[in-house]
Amino acid sequence: MEYLIHLAILFAIYAILGVSLNLVVGYTGLLSVTHAAFYGIGAYATAILLTKTGAGFFASVILGVIVAIVVSFLIGAVLSKFKGDYYALGTFGFNTIVFAIFLNWQSLTRGPLGIPGISRPELFGINFANNFNFLILALLFLGLIYFASRFITSSSLGRVLKAIREDETAIAVFGYNTLYFKLAIFVISAAMAAIAGSLFSSYITFIDPSGFRLMESVFILAIIILGGLANLRGSILGALFLILLPEILRFVGFPADIAAQMRQVVYGVILILLMLYRPQGLMGEYKL
Amino acid sequence: MDIVPQLILNSIIAGAIYTLIALGFNLIYGATKFFNLAHGVMVAVGGYAFFYFAKTLGLNIFVAVIIGVALAGLVGYGLDKLIYLPLRKRKASNMVLLVASLGAFTALQAVIAILFTSQFKTLSQNVGTQKLFEVFGGIITQTQLIILLAAVLVMAGLVLLLYKTQFGKAVRAISDDEEVARIVGINTNKIMGYVFFIGSAIAGLAGILVGFDIGIEPTMGLSLLLKGVIASIVGGVGNIYGGVLGAFLLGFVENFGIWKISGEWKDAIAFVLLIVFLVFRPRGIMNK
Repeated sequence: MEYLIHLAILFAIYAILGVSLNLVVGYTGLLSVTHAAFYGIGAYATAILLTKTGAGFFASVILGVIVAIVVSFLIGAVLSKFKGDYYALGTFGFNTIVFAIFLNWQSLTRGPLGIPGISRPELFGINFANNFNFLILALLFLGLIYFASRFITSSSLGRVLKAIREDETAIAVFGYNTLYFKLAIFVISAAMAAIAGSLFSSYITFIDPSGFRLMESVFILAIIILGGLANLRGSILGALFLILLPEILRFVGFPADIAAQMRQVVYGVILILLMLYRPQGLMGEYKL
Repeated sequence: MDIVPQLILNSIIAGAIYTLIALGFNLIYGATKFFNLAHGVMVAVGGYAFFYFAKTLGLNIFVAVIIGVALAGLVGYGLDKLIYLPLRKRKASNMVLLVASLGAFTALQAVIAILFTSQFKTLSQNVGTQKLFEVFGGIITQTQLIILLAAVLVMAGLVLLLYKTQFGKAVRAISDDEEVARIVGINTNKIMGYVFFIGSAIAGLAGILVGFDIGIEPTMGLSLLLKGVIASIVGGVGNIYGGVLGAFLLGFVENFGIWKISGEWKDAIAFVLLIVFLVFRPRGIMNK
């Protein structure tokens, strides 16, 4: 039971990541491979604030969101001039750099040693050290982000984003400054990823840079492509599927270090097979 | 002590390595017009194939180099035939190809880690007894001299191949306009297969050389790929000379960038160079 709760919490965290990335990749058609960078920024913000100062968890979530907004605004302002493969490449590079910063800014992040002893949140007398309570908290955040995303995609903003995806020049002719819209959704998505990061570091109570490398972004991308682009429920389904998949591999009985690599093989092969046979994923409304 | 000569030498050596990656990457981009991220893993394929044949099986070094290079080429050729060719026939977008190559990258890198563990390994036979040469007050090792030589030879060979042979003419025709090339009777898919072989083989060679200079690990391809891609974009994507120019520019910027600060920021400096070019001259130095 305890293990099921653990899986459910991980699912909630990755569902947040999937839903938020889908806003950028699925709705706006910008192939971003840097979600793990903002996920990591949130995680490190929480970890550093909780271990170095006495601030609470929710203050750290806000800090993580603010840092993610600032960083994503700066990098997004450059990236938003591009689309297609150049955009993908820029984000690809950015994730690598952020990972390098986590690894090398030792005075702040302790580098490869990671940050241990991150505390669990406590609010209104409810102690979230209990995994079940934490699950409720994670699901609450997931619900919040899901409905916020739904609101965005069904609003006029969402329609402009889809129009950018289908034909950027056409919508620009109508007087929309597409750069602002691309930047806005990138920043929103990054802020949501930072929340997932805060949850993750507080839940696991230990983080190191290896959790936020490029392969993690590829994993999140695999979630949304599998679930289906431009479909929020698809992202949740994708997260569920890819979180449970390693458990099946576990039953096959690989040793631990091989199982971790085996997972990467499976994610990679899933991406290839999807591209070959079903580029719109399980329930997607948009093909890359 | 004067550090400048050493910095210049380091820059040239780094430039030579990036040249090898950028040459293959540009060659493939020129013909197929998509960013083949799986190019990065060819570096590791070459390095590990050499490691297996030279160290585990004890073959002659030169034989092992040839096998390693050929094997990297074959893997590239195989990826083209199994994944990219079917996608091209379906007129898939560049993004689909990019995601598929990302999947191939993830899967192959993990396969290498399963076969050889993710431990760092060195290729040179007798560590510490390398011949050192002094040039203008800086020191260069024998391996690094070979790297420099290899970069020059590969570039010269590629230029000869592209501009003096029937095959090269066909490749350039495809780079110019694939459809027209096909109309005039060039078997474009066959030529692209060869292009993948040659490009990947060059990356394999780079992997072996880097393995001698520093060492090999399954994840070595990522940062080298990133540097190769940055070099290509800075110089002008798809342009052979541009790739070389970009590679050396990157080598110099990186090495002089860390003159006063810690060496770990190399990747970040490289990325800043990319951003500067993306903002001010996205088509690169050489492209019109």
